[in-house]
Amino acid sequence: MQKPSNKLLEVQDLSVNLGGLNIIKNVSFDLDQGDILSVIGPNGSGKTTLVKAILGLVAYKGKVSVNGKPVNKALDLIGYVPQRFYFDRNFPITVEEFLSLSFKGKDLKNNKVCDQLKVDDLYSKMIGALSGGQLQRVLIARAMLNNPKLLIFDEPTTGIDVGGQDSFYEMASHLNKDHGVAIILISHEVNVVFKYSDKVLCLHEGEVCCHGNNYDFDIDALKKIYGDNFSLHNHNH
Amino acid sequence: MIEVLQIPFMQRALLAGVMLALLLAVLGVFVVLRKMAFFSEGIAHASLAGVAMSLLFSFAPLLGAVLAATVFASFIYIMEDKLKSSSDTAIGIIFATGLSIGVILMSAIPGYQPELISYLFGNILAISKQDLWIIAIVSSVILALVFAIRNKLTLFALNEDLALVSGINTKLLKLGLYIVLSVGVVLALKVLGIILVSALLVIPVAISQLLSKSFKVLVVLSIALSEFILIAGIFGSYYLDLPTGPTIVVFGACVYAVFGLIKLVQKA
Repeated sequence: MQKPSNKLLEVQDLSVNLGGLNIIKNVSFDLDQGDILSVIGPNGSGKTTLVKAILGLVAYKGKVSVNGKPVNKALDLIGYVPQRFYFDRNFPITVEEFLSLSFKGKDLKNNKVCDQLKVDDLYSKMIGALSGGQLQRVLIARAMLNNPKLLIFDEPTTGIDVGGQDSFYEMASHLNKDHGVAIILISHEVNVVFKYSDKVLCLHEGEVCCHGNNYDFDIDALKKIYGDNFSLHNHNH
Repeated sequence: MIEVLQIPFMQRALLAGVMLALLLAVLGVFVVLRKMAFFSEGIAHASLAGVAMSLLFSFAPLLGAVLAATVFASFIYIMEDKLKSSSDTAIGIIFATGLSIGVILMSAIPGYQPELISYLFGNILAISKQDLWIIAIVSSVILALVFAIRNKLTLFALNEDLALVSGINTKLLKLGLYIVLSVGVVLALKVLGIILVSALLVIPVAISQLLSKSFKVLVVLSIALSEFILIAGIFGSYYLDLPTGPTIVVFGACVYAVFGLIKLVQKA
């Protein structure tokens, strides 16, 4: 008897060409239900473009499927927290109204995720008046509201201090354990993400240079990109 | 005051004003939040081509204006989405082209055209019963549509990428918004005229934005202010014997100036 597939996300031969440049070249990988995958790589390696292609925000060649369905038919299974959230700060909309725009349930005020992320204290505030950390919590709550199976964070700790970074990764880890949601974490903080991930995929110039489990990752491959002095402080290797 | 309300053309003017103020305030919320004031300005001017065509070939000017506005709105969408022209470039081309076609067609029409003048500068006191019915039916359809997709429109106005990853067909929504907005603008042409119509889309919402801390308040306040400005403008123009469209716009701008000053004083 064939074992049922545990694969949540499958990416096959994904390529992105923007303005005549091949930003992503034949990238393939998959992600199991409930796993945390970190996508690392130096600046300009194509991390954000990879995420945008998975979400259908940029045109791509190749195949992306979530739970066996093409990604455009499975967007309700994905929660996305962008690297930068561009909006008019004078747009008069409260946190509660903002969350209601996407919420498919009935009782936003008693929502567990909002309680867990301490977003319910911010309901009456205008989103344009939130601090960076508060806005990030609201965006994570929005992404989690409809119980997605996959949560994608694009450079989630950009502009957040070290203490804030630690608490973010702890919170992401809790969301993963408590809600069983798989996570893709785009980050340049190589040392930190190894601590929290099940798998790591490293991009270099739009190609996968190494991909594997956290515990037996090929560190030598990373040295080719980050230099011979590179080492992992939190690695269990 | 009661005497004025018994005059049939004033009754029709006020009824049309009340309906259009509601429609323009609701559409205006998305115009201001998506920074589309130039779009509505461009479409209003380009619709002159439709008005001139209807006068040349003897059919209802409102129908001609609606057709022209819908076609031009679709052109703007194609230029932005398929040809990757920037929004202001696309609107700038359509604005001038529609207006030029209108002027060329007008030159082929012999004699004085009072209908054309009323579309250029607006003449709410010339609203017919047929106009009232058209405004009532089309406004109701547009408002029902906007109400049905209000959450999608609001998220789209706030951040297009977030709307897209939420499963919203943003291309269709954008084209739909362009067309609905064009029809709404054209519907109000007879009241405010091609030159002034976009002012009533933006002024009430701009005032409300100064005072609102939530989206709900913004929408309710925009509707209330739009009704107040339009009705006060109609009465003002009647009693002071001034042209209606410009009176409404100048009164609206004065209200904006008052609240703007209060805001500046509070900040100081």
